[in-house]
Amino acid sequence: MRGKKLAVLLLLGFGLLKLPMERAVSARLNQAELLSPFASLELRENLDQTAFAAVLGGLRSLVASVTYMRAYIAFEDGFWAEVDRLYALTTRLQPRNVAYWDEAAWQMAFNAASHYLHDKGTREYTRGALYQQYIDRGIEILREGLRYNPDSPRLWGALGDIYARRKREPLPAAEAYLKAEADGGPAYYQRLAAYQLLQAPDRESWVKAYELLRATYDAGKKFPSVIDGLHELERRLKIPPDQRIPEKASEKKAPSVGPMAP
Amino acid sequence: MKNKAPAPQPARGGHLSRILTLAGATVTQLLRMRILVFLLVVCVLMVAFGFGFPVSSPEQKLKLLKDATFGTLQIFSLVLAVAATALLLPRDVEDRTLYTILSKPVPRVDYLLGKYLGVIFLIGAGLIILDVVLSGLVYFQQQALLQGTEAMLRSEGAPEDEILQQLAQVQRVGLTWSMHAATWAIFLKAAVVTALALLISSFASSTLFTMVSTFLVCVLGQGQELIREYLFHGSFSVTMEKVVALLLAIALPDLRLFDIVDNVIAGQSVTWGAMASITGAALLYVVGYLVVAQVVFSEKEL
Repeated sequence: MRGKKLAVLLLLGFGLLKLPMERAVSARLNQAELLSPFASLELRENLDQTAFAAVLGGLRSLVASVTYMRAYIAFEDGFWAEVDRLYALTTRLQPRNVAYWDEAAWQMAFNAASHYLHDKGTREYTRGALYQQYIDRGIEILREGLRYNPDSPRLWGALGDIYARRKREPLPAAEAYLKAEADGGPAYYQRLAAYQLLQAPDRESWVKAYELLRATYDAGKKFPSVIDGLHELERRLKIPPDQRIPEKASEKKAPSVGPMAP
Repeated sequence: MKNKAPAPQPARGGHLSRILTLAGATVTQLLRMRILVFLLVVCVLMVAFGFGFPVSSPEQKLKLLKDATFGTLQIFSLVLAVAATALLLPRDVEDRTLYTILSKPVPRVDYLLGKYLGVIFLIGAGLIILDVVLSGLVYFQQQALLQGTEAMLRSEGAPEDEILQQLAQVQRVGLTWSMHAATWAIFLKAAVVTALALLISSFASSTLFTMVSTFLVCVLGQGQELIREYLFHGSFSVTMEKVVALLLAIALPDLRLFDIVDNVIAGQSVTWGAMASITGAALLYVVGYLVVAQVVFSEKEL
């Protein structure tokens, strides 16, 4: 009997000792972005019991993979509302996995939007509205993803792609591309930003585009699109002839950097 | 002249050699139970799952493979920790092995530690083997992905620095040192669960009770952070709720501390500091639960 009492006392003492340690370790791991946010009530409502139990059991990533695969199958069947729902669930399960946010936005802004734009079964006047609606949904997904991953060049780049290719809004597109490059993304984001600024109506944007393209050119990346862009800007900005780049054929073929499948 | 009962002679060798002998015997005992065969079949099926589904990009394929493999490691270690530990004490009582061991001058603490180390050794060895195999699978998948990405970029005439940047991104989600750190975290979690199962087993009356209770504690342990935060920041209206939350926070381990796998799969790096924190936490749990288990077991009537 004495042993049992001692065991209970030891357990209580140990428990009180471990509480501050647990808080400190948890805070440290959260700071290092090694722990995922706790499974919320919203998540519970959207997952079946087994999946929720698996999430509680530490198999969150595996459950996210399963919901991702279900989303992919829904995409193959063209059930866009279901695709959206399942990707939303997947991103909530693993909000720090940027690939899920990127792909979810791509599905909405590119695949679903194009599907409705060309869907013969949808009335013509609603096609455009649905097209815009799904593009906006793609932007919304990326903005939400950027709340969890504010410095992700991939998500900023994807946002730039949607603004550039779907919304045709050069200024927010350029802003997103520049952020992607500043956050450690590939150097071609700088060129993409310049191409967008080239399409803007104001002189200030052209000056910025010229600076970016000139820097690219001076770095030895003399792609046709860079040279064409520079010629156009030299004309618009009335750059003195002695400061212009030579009129000759481009030296390199520009790589394709458009938004393909994430 | 009175005949005195001979005092028990200390067994040959020290505590450590006795504990290691018992640990070795435990490993043999567990291997004979064929739990491992069943678990290996489950592991093979789960890894096959990682290859057999459609995904839209090679990167997702790599992620799915890692999800399936780490899921396998977690299930393997937790099931083995709970099932093996729950089976050990009752089986020793049933076979009367326990009485044979304890009739010799073997302290109960040595017996308990021997059993614990036996289970831990088996889990550790299993995890090392699975980690090596699964790392190989991820590596080959990653190499194929790297070659494909490089060939595509070169065919498009991308500059060298951009190619290197893209390849570095692929490598970040491929086989990294952090993956082994995640396996270590899985091992630590299993070590804590084994200590808990041994504690429950020390006062439980049946294998089933130990298994069900330990699984329940594991589930509650996953939500321990929430309980703790409610306790410190929440507003409980009923005193009883406060008491229950406090007791749960005190008694249960926070098993979420070891769930770094998700973010490692997504490409997050594990620092030495984080590793030291997790290892320290696991050590504290294991020592704490084993001490309590020993106190209970030393008074247990056999």
